[in-house]
Amino acid sequence: MPPLLDVRDLEAGYGPINVLHRLSLSVDPGEIVAMIGANGAGKSTTLMTLSGVVRARAGRIVFDGKDLVADRVPAHMIVRLGLAQSPEGRKIFPRLSVLENLQMGAFTRTDPDGVAKDIEKAFTMFPILRERQHQAGGLLSGGQQQMLAIARALMARPKLLLLDEPSLGLAPQIVVQIFDVIRELNRQGVSILLVEQNARMALKVAHRGYVLETGRITFTDKADVLLHDPRIRAAYLGE
Amino acid sequence: MTPLLATDPAAAFGQFVLIGLVSGLLYALIALGYTMVYGIVELINFAHGDLFMLGCMLCLQVCLAVGALSEADAGTGPAVLAIAIMLLVAPVFCAALNLAVDRAVYKPLRTAPKLAPLVSAIGVSFIFMNIGLFWRGPTDISFPKLLLGETNLIEGSGMGFTTKDLMVVLVTIPTMIGLTLFVRYTSLGKAMRATAQNPTAAQLMGINVDRVIAATFAIGGALAGVASVVYGLYFNSVNYQMGFQNGLYAFTAAVLGGIGNIPGAVLGGVVIGLIKALGGAYIGAEWSEALIFGILIVILLFRPNGLLGARTREKV
Ligand SMILES: Nc1ncnc2c1ncn2[C@@H]1O[C@H](COP(=O)(O)OP(=O)(O)O)[C@@H](O)[C@H]1O
Ligand SMILES: [Mg+2]
Repeated sequence: MPPLLDVRDLEAGYGPINVLHRLSLSVDPGEIVAMIGANGAGKSTTLMTLSGVVRARAGRIVFDGKDLVADRVPAHMIVRLGLAQSPEGRKIFPRLSVLENLQMGAFTRTDPDGVAKDIEKAFTMFPILRERQHQAGGLLSGGQQQMLAIARALMARPKLLLLDEPSLGLAPQIVVQIFDVIRELNRQGVSILLVEQNARMALKVAHRGYVLETGRITFTDKADVLLHDPRIRAAYLGE
Repeated sequence: MTPLLATDPAAAFGQFVLIGLVSGLLYALIALGYTMVYGIVELINFAHGDLFMLGCMLCLQVCLAVGALSEADAGTGPAVLAIAIMLLVAPVFCAALNLAVDRAVYKPLRTAPKLAPLVSAIGVSFIFMNIGLFWRGPTDISFPKLLLGETNLIEGSGMGFTTKDLMVVLVTIPTMIGLTLFVRYTSLGKAMRATAQNPTAAQLMGINVDRVIAATFAIGGALAGVASVVYGLYFNSVNYQMGFQNGLYAFTAAVLGGIGNIPGAVLGGVVIGLIKALGGAYIGAEWSEALIFGILIVILLFRPNGLLGARTREKV
């Protein structure tokens, strides 16, 4: 089977500065792929380039058979192709209610019945969101906002879900809950590209992993191989 | 003191409140254009008041073209035609002009430091003012009184509320209700709210942010166009500098209500109209500005985000 996402020699950055240098990676259908790396390595830039918010300067991003770079697919069309993101820092709409935030996640959809069903599914997966559905998104706790960000991204019914630091700043028991959700989503067939500074958790849940250092992929292997590699353990697992 | 104030203080007070409310609705209509644009692109569009002024000049041009020239024409075919054309042409003209300026001037500066588009907006304001000067000259120009009579609709109350006042209410209130419904319930309106709250997240939802920004400039411009029709018909006098003062009041209204907040702009407009009318009557018209800005400062000291601004804080 061809990969769902195939990135080749990607270059992207801000102003005169290139952040990503000939970055290549892939995600197969049904996979969870982790990307780990230090703060500032370019993880968020990678995801934002995939989502079209940051412009690719060179290289290819082939998603589901379509080259997003060559075809100059604008950001607002990318989610329609089945690529959704839960961004770093959640980026919840603070003055929209929880329910309205979820509805925004389905902005591109034209099947109100399907949307209603998926909102119900989101509430089943995250019961706290049902309880808080009429509250403003900005009033939720960090963990609740993270759940909302993931649920909102899922409302687009993505084939590939990009998750940027879903564990950042959350209490340990909430982190465990979030990773359970990631596993469950994958079981339901969603492919996931997971960016994390919490390398241990990420590599435990992932099938494969990439290590990003100052915009370059320096290691890639099966997740459990990376998890036991002494260099990775020293640099990213605090050993 | 006006005679009314001496003979019937209660009726006088009511009268000033009515005056304040009616002029406040006009400020509110202009204030909406400031607040919507700020809400989406964080730009104080200094040229907005002058856009309104150009709308007024265009309305005047329409009157001349149609031959609705004076009070004598009120109620006749040409007057009705002139008003109908103005209501159509002024909003379209102001919307298109606002959109064009965004494309040509502000859009290229979208990612530049915030001061760059701000200074450009001040520049556009002066350019508009000069166009107005060139178009209609430096003096006050009388705008034909095309509305039938000044019938007092609340005769016997001791106060006056004329057909003209009613016209302001009948145009501004439905426009604002329409705008509120639009922003709440249409897909584009929802996209505008989302973009205002987090443009990056809006893009990730599949919202075409460029289109949302363009629509915001167009709608803000159209509201200024509606305001220009109402203003011309109500005050019957226009000049090339009118955009500055009215724009300043409207901008202040937007800040007072909470910049970026649509109901806030309406509330701010009405509050400023009331302060101006009541302050002018009881303290002295020469104190209006000092009073308005004094109250603005006091309110901002206690509510830095304005009366209705940002009640929920964004979590990082
Ligand atoms: N909006 C931006 N403008 C300019 N530079 C940026 C911007 N966002 C990130 N950077 C820079 O790009 C590099 C990579 O950042 P980022 O992708 O956020 O890294 P990570 O997510 O791995 O922490 C950093 O040097 C950062 O300073
Ligand atoms: Mg990051």
